Amino acid sequence: MRVESPRHLAELQQAFHAREIGFAKKLHICCGPGCLASGAADIVSKFKALLKKRHLTDFSLEAIKETGCHGLCEQGPLVVIEPDGIFYTKVKPKHVETIIDSTLERNEVISELLYREPHSQRCVEHYRDIDFYARQHRIALRHLGRISQYDIRDYLAQGGYSALAKALTTMTPDQIVSEVTTSGLRGRGGAGFPTGRKWATCRNAEEQPHYVICNGDEGDPGAFMDRAIMEGDPHSVLEGMIICAFAVGSAQGYIYVREEYPLAVQNLQLAIDQASDYGLLGDNILGSDFSFSIKISRGGGAFVCGESSALMKSVAGDVGEPRAKYVRSVLKGLFDRPTVLNNVETFANVPVIINQGGERFAELGMKKSTGTKAFSLVGKVRNTGLIEVPMGTTLRQIIYDIGGGILNDRPFKAVQTGGPSGGCLPESKLDLPVDFNTLTEAGSMMGSGGMIVVDDRTCVVDLAKYFLAFLLDESCGKCTPCREGLYQLHRLATKISDGEATEPDLDKMEQLSHMVIIGSLCGLGKSGPNPFLSTVQYFRDEYLAHIREKRCPAGVCRALIRYDVIAEKCDGCLACISACAVHAITGKKGQVHAIDQELCDKCGACHAVCTRHAIEVT
Amino acid sequence: MVHLTLNGKIVQAREGEVLLSVIRREGISIPATCHHESVEAFGACRLCTVEITKKEWNGWKDYVTSCLYPVQNDLIVDTHSPAVVELRRTLIDLQLARCPNSPEIRQMAEEYGITTTSYEERPDGDNCILCGLCTRICDRMGFAAISTVGRGYGRRVAPPLDEPPPDCVGCLACALNCPTKVIPYVDKGTTRVIWTKQFELMTCTGCGRTTITRDFAKSLGESRQISLQYFEKCDDCHRRELSQTMTRIVSWQREEKP
Amino acid sequence: MNHDLSRLPDIIGRYPRSPQSLIAVLQDIQRDYHFLPCEALKETAKALQVPLSKVFSVSTFYNAFSLYPRGERVIRICTGTTCHIRGAKLIQYQLEDKLSIKAGQTTPDLKFTLEVVNCVGACAMAPVVIVNGKYFGSVKVSDSKKLLRGSKDAR
Repeated sequence: MRVESPRHLAELQQAFHAREIGFAKKLHICCGPGCLASGAADIVSKFKALLKKRHLTDFSLEAIKETGCHGLCEQGPLVVIEPDGIFYTKVKPKHVETIIDSTLERNEVISELLYREPHSQRCVEHYRDIDFYARQHRIALRHLGRISQYDIRDYLAQGGYSALAKALTTMTPDQIVSEVTTSGLRGRGGAGFPTGRKWATCRNAEEQPHYVICNGDEGDPGAFMDRAIMEGDPHSVLEGMIICAFAVGSAQGYIYVREEYPLAVQNLQLAIDQASDYGLLGDNILGSDFSFSIKISRGGGAFVCGESSALMKSVAGDVGEPRAKYVRSVLKGLFDRPTVLNNVETFANVPVIINQGGERFAELGMKKSTGTKAFSLVGKVRNTGLIEVPMGTTLRQIIYDIGGGILNDRPFKAVQTGGPSGGCLPESKLDLPVDFNTLTEAGSMMGSGGMIVVDDRTCVVDLAKYFLAFLLDESCGKCTPCREGLYQLHRLATKISDGEATEPDLDKMEQLSHMVIIGSLCGLGKSGPNPFLSTVQYFRDEYLAHIREKRCPAGVCRALIRYDVIAEKCDGCLACISACAVHAITGKKGQVHAIDQELCDKCGACHAVCTRHAIEVT
Repeated sequence: MVHLTLNGKIVQAREGEVLLSVIRREGISIPATCHHESVEAFGACRLCTVEITKKEWNGWKDYVTSCLYPVQNDLIVDTHSPAVVELRRTLIDLQLARCPNSPEIRQMAEEYGITTTSYEERPDGDNCILCGLCTRICDRMGFAAISTVGRGYGRRVAPPLDEPPPDCVGCLACALNCPTKVIPYVDKGTTRVIWTKQFELMTCTGCGRTTITRDFAKSLGESRQISLQYFEKCDDCHRRELSQTMTRIVSWQREEKP
Repeated sequence: MNHDLSRLPDIIGRYPRSPQSLIAVLQDIQRDYHFLPCEALKETAKALQVPLSKVFSVSTFYNAFSLYPRGERVIRICTGTTCHIRGAKLIQYQLEDKLSIKAGQTTPDLKFTLEVVNCVGACAMAPVVIVNGKYFGSVKVSDSKKLLRGSKDAR
């Protein structure tokens, strides 16, 4: 069906909205990345199979919706029964029948499946009352968990594509650019460049054609906001891109998606096909004379392709090697033509800005960082998952109020933001309001929004070494400082974690870091030493413990630790013996086990499998 | 015309020119191992990095590769600021760790007072500094027979599939332009071997010396519309033949005159 | 080794014959054959009119491509930051030990390939292991045997 006019669109939206409220009950099964990893696919198929047989009187099979990420991934798989918003956690296939019998058929709430607040152990029946959600403000993630990720009708029922209709019929391209400028929206990919200014530059560029690219190459390890949006609410990204294309005068767009996100590719392609069927993409969109189409470009698995010039080379089918950007890519981008490149979350914000006006968006957040920001809150925190808060929310509010504090009540040590380009912030920075500028000033950066909380059992030397190894693996190898400098930094970090380094080695690392920063060609190298520099800035003592005392305070660096069996706690269950790959543990069933220090390779498997905490690290 | 300040002196430059060419014209010496006039600037070795600023930048400075940075009015350029010299020294030190046995790199390092690298030497490394000149010149020649392979620290230059490259014509443009002379080739009798591929060298019908490979001649013949016959003589013999012809013409003219 | 190349023209035919299609074509070949056979690289170069050197360069640059046959069961261990601090290395050691291969290798009987991948975006369920496209979250050291069987009860 083709939508011929904005009026036709409004009629459809109303019809689909009526269909939604017509369902007496709806089953929203979270199929986000986290819930899928804990078995959501089995839940979906079981619900479908059972409900097909059961023929419940006031339940339509169409009301089973596979939604995007609800956010509270730790508690998955999640099943929400709408319209009441009854929120079931950790649902297993065996619970499916009970949910149908009790909740769908008899309106009874199953208390053991409800969420419990971590501190009070209070059972919470409804979605909206859970602290984790109550303290968030969702714009980019507005539809996640609320609509089917496969069905454009759900998006339309929520008023989807009305921003596009408004832009096409009541606004000029210049007005759109100025609305986005007024909103103060800055690029959510990490650099925080003002979106309105980027669009204006592209719009005014004389060379033709202009291109619009959506960067879905979410390479920062520990970040998955963009994945969740692309999978769970693909139309909001498309709508943002189409509005952008109209504003900057482009007829062809690309979405560059990571190879590691096959579901995102699948859902986006489905969304593109559906939008094209409805005449929301392609020729003469909504009956106007504006035409725009979108192709998906699958990445090949290279972190450096998140860098704009490398990404554009990759879209063109080449190796993703960055070039010097002394002429900006907005003027000389894809195929050397003017190109707007924004990331997924940035585009997802656009329809809201057009609908509600830039000023209203700018009221949220901070003066120089407006609006909200989505984060993936992960690591050693209780409520891991996807969140969105106004800019300026403090790290403490995010980690303790929304995240529920540190896992197992261990002490907070640091929070890592900005991925391999960012840094680690210690407890003294917890009251920092989070925005683009404050994080950079504190030695970290916003990045795309990964927020990894670490406790006292994480070694910062090991963490810095991890990021250096990551970047070494992902560097394209074109320029000397990045390729050779990161290699040498990694060697030196390894020397420290092996207990073989001296203090001059640490000085050498700091000096080399500064050279890599000023000397490298692209952002990967220019920010590569940040994880090291920020940890040495805030945790110098821990580095010195490795160097002077040959000691790893967190008990992580293998060369500096030993594992021992605590005789009083060991019940001789044999679990550690079978876990030990090097056969360093001996003992009979029921007798205290012993670790041969000569054979032990300090992998920690015994420690991980011991349920009685009978193995200690020193 | 563009006016900028280079090491304290006001100099002129053409619109669209890059800093490196101005720097060289002014007789200032800075290294640039990945740079070659015949190919597009690459910006990989980073040795030609300079410090730039402008009055209105209020003390903020940037570091850019001069081989790629276009000249601008009122730009203040320093080719030997303390930070730039330290960077250049560090880069050469890193290259020395990569290629500890390369005479060319060792010599460059000595100019910066480095005799042994302060970093860990690359285990069993070759002398390739990955400047990319060989692959870019090969592309420019129109053959694109070799390329960089892999990425990061493991990046290297190789023919496709590590087999004799099908598109190579044995022209030696890669080997002769390599700043560290790391691409081996052997000419023996009328055969040449490079990148493990064997070529027939043509023999000059005039003097019997070997000239270019038959494949290279064929490719030049096709792309430049030159008859293959032309390549059957070496340059010297062509020149000799031409001068003999000229002598003959002059002598005919003299005979005709009286 | 000889491979059935009859499916190649169909794969190459899905995309416009231009250098721009190179990565997409290689991805489809990789998906179909589970690696990139040499002959396929040569065919692709010819069909898309791209120098073979560039095809080789692209196929060795990106992680998605493998020039060697992979096992029937591809086990990918996520080593993103969150998985790293939650013990992905331990899982890796266990699987390497059980299969007697290192990450990035394939068992001689072509049954298993072990790979590490830099973050698959399921960080909330760290550590994550993916077996032939199926995600397993909150993996424990003791789960390694089950992972090799390709079944792990969800939590």
